[in-house]
Amino acid sequence: MNTFSEKALWELFTEGDQNAFSSLFKTYYPQLYGYGIKLSSDSFITEDCLQNFFIYLHKNRRKIRKVNHVKSYLYTSFRREILKSLKKERQFSSYETSLERGRSFGFSPEELKIEQELSHIKTTTLAILLNTLSTRQREVIYLKYYSGLSTKDTMEVMDISYQSVLNTLQKAFAKLRNEIEDREISAILKKT
Amino acid sequence: MVSLLMKILFMSKEELSLLEILIEDLSFVNWAKNHNQNDVAFWNNWIRQHPDKIETVYNAKAIILGIKFNKTQVSETKIDQALSDILALVEVEEKSFKKEKKSFSVIKYMAMATTLVLFISLAYLFIPTDTTVTHTTLFGEIIDLKLPDGTSVILNGNSEISYDKNTPRNINLSGEAYFKVKSIPSTKAKFWVNTRDLKVEVFGTQFHVSTRNNKTGVLLDEGRIELLLGNGTSKKMKPGELVSYSNKDKITTHDKVTQELSYSLWREGTYIFNNTTVYEVMKNIEQAYGLKTEFIDEELKGQKLTGGIPNQNLKICLSAIEKSTGTRIVVKDNRLIMFKN
Repeated sequence: MNTFSEKALWELFTEGDQNAFSSLFKTYYPQLYGYGIKLSSDSFITEDCLQNFFIYLHKNRRKIRKVNHVKSYLYTSFRREILKSLKKERQFSSYETSLERGRSFGFSPEELKIEQELSHIKTTTLAILLNTLSTRQREVIYLKYYSGLSTKDTMEVMDISYQSVLNTLQKAFAKLRNEIEDREISAILKKT
Repeated sequence: MVSLLMKILFMSKEELSLLEILIEDLSFVNWAKNHNQNDVAFWNNWIRQHPDKIETVYNAKAIILGIKFNKTQVSETKIDQALSDILALVEVEEKSFKKEKKSFSVIKYMAMATTLVLFISLAYLFIPTDTTVTHTTLFGEIIDLKLPDGTSVILNGNSEISYDKNTPRNINLSGEAYFKVKSIPSTKAKFWVNTRDLKVEVFGTQFHVSTRNNKTGVLLDEGRIELLLGNGTSKKMKPGELVSYSNKDKITTHDKVTQELSYSLWREGTYIFNNTTVYEVMKNIEQAYGLKTEFIDEELKGQKLTGGIPNQNLKICLSAIEKSTGTRIVVKDNRLIMFKN
């Protein structure tokens, strides 16, 4: 769905259109479900939060008219919902403690696709490398490349500055590139 | 691009970082994705002139290309179930506020009309007027082409093919390319590749042609081809054979190739060297990237190297050669300076 039709759909939804609600639900439920699982590593919490979240949206639809970008609005609010629930569940207070200790944003080899650019490494290796990054770095990568959010949206969702999204990305990829190049070179040398 | 250069030149620390400028620059994004030849040429040249920025450039490229994911699917039944659960829960609420779809559809039609107009004007832009079609690759660039008759061509860096639109099965080549010729059994239509030394005449088959080093080499993978050499003679070739001929010295070689070949493997992004001298290895890299090697220690030239070297990324490529030969290679301007470590 493009931003344009998305906005039109959102307007219909805030005017009380039930079909628009169902349509939004069907578009965003799978995406937010995936995001929730990555945040909480818990399908029970995720499903519970999703239900509360969509009921909240439905109830308050006439109050939340002004939304600039539907996708980042939904990700931001849903993220808050999950963090609230994790905080309750685990008695942790901040992003770092509630996410770091809960092994958030782990990636599995099955989730990864290898393109030619990285052809010498396997998905298992890439998954291992990705999982050595910090939780914040992995969340930025997830939002930007898995969910397809723009850098600006990623910044809004994670509530950090534009510059720090870029810095996080740069550090993450500098680390990945170094590790991948080292592995490539040693793989080549083994062949000789 | 000019304004971008100014931006980079006059950039102070407080202002935008180079990384930020790069990832938001459409021309740079094209370079990273290997999309627009002008942009690719511009940025390759820029990188050569700013070797100190290479780390930032490759980080920016990595950020643009990102990481590709297989998305986990949530089953339709699960979504429907979740939706009906929620609808049941909110049913206490009204079913009123029926839709006013009018404005929505008007906007939608307007968007569709605009898109249509855009497509038509774009189509006009791309209607060609010249009947010669040319494809050129830059240093270090490899492209896949599909010719109008269905033949596929992989064109290596620093190479060019051209043909007349009316005779798309008669191709001129300079540089290096791999052909997978589409056979047309009904008409037995032939396919020709012309180089400055010879003409390759084929039916449906797969072969590799290179005009590097002042001669033309043809390597046949599959099928049957006949070469019409510049000296007027002809040569029939069987799969696995390598023929090379030069108009300059009129020397023909005709060999059966048994080993894994260095010739065609650039297609998969790797050069395979089998007991090849460093001199020849560097020649390969020179031609693909348009660089010149200077050997500080002459004896390095004769050193032998065996193994695969990735050729898509010059930095990795050079660093693999450095490690396997115990040398240092410094890139300066358009030169590779190679010396013992």
